[in-house]
Amino acid sequence: MSEPFHRTSRGIAVDLPGPLRSWLAMMATEAGSDALVDGPVHRRLLGPINPTDDHDDPVSELQRQFSVEGSLGALVESAHHELLTEEQAEEWIRALQLILVATAARYEVASDDDVAQLGEEEANTLTTLQAFISLLIEGLDG
Amino acid sequence: MPDTDTDILTDAELRQRFDLPWEVVLWNDPVSLISLVVRVLQKLFGYDLPTAERLTMAVHHEGKAVVWTGEKDKAAAFCVALHGYALAATIQPGQ
Repeated sequence: MSEPFHRTSRGIAVDLPGPLRSWLAMMATEAGSDALVDGPVHRRLLGPINPTDDHDDPVSELQRQFSVEGSLGALVESAHHELLTEEQAEEWIRALQLILVATAARYEVASDDDVAQLGEEEANTLTTLQAFISLLIEGLDG
Repeated sequence: MPDTDTDILTDAELRQRFDLPWEVVLWNDPVSLISLVVRVLQKLFGYDLPTAERLTMAVHHEGKAVVWTGEKDKAAAFCVALHGYALAATIQPGQ
């Protein structure tokens, strides 16, 4: 894969095959669903910011939930776009990172040792998501 | 109404009342890329590249690092912004 994300005069060009785009949208939808129900993904993405509290205040908790849903929803909505605005590209970075961390939480990965013990398919999924993040950062800032 | 002369304040209440500093702590996680963390620290806190890299490596090697210190409300806002990038962050009273 060569330069799947690069700047053009019209925006950030996304050069990815359709099935990969659909896979990213599916992963984003899955992470969004998991974040809403109590479980490892919810606890990892929406745990309290002050560890001495059980929960954030309800307004703050709702804002954070909207933020997660907003970023993941933005990726789903623009998954098949050929061009992204600067704002959409930043939402993609947030969304890809949310998907990566949600997926790691689903695999119960909490340490480097846990990563080393993952099966091949799970390890490949995490590596693929990391590669997308790295390539998008390069495309935006490189 | 509590007797303010004898009312015992918790550490958090004391800090809030006298505007004592709070810290934003960023925790290491095994999957987030170093390049992503450096970029987010620059973007959210306005740090230059060497500062962002130093803090990121401190998180990576020591498991956590204080990445910002200041008012509680701002600390909470920064912490929420870090969570927007799925980075593990918490706030705590300044040491």
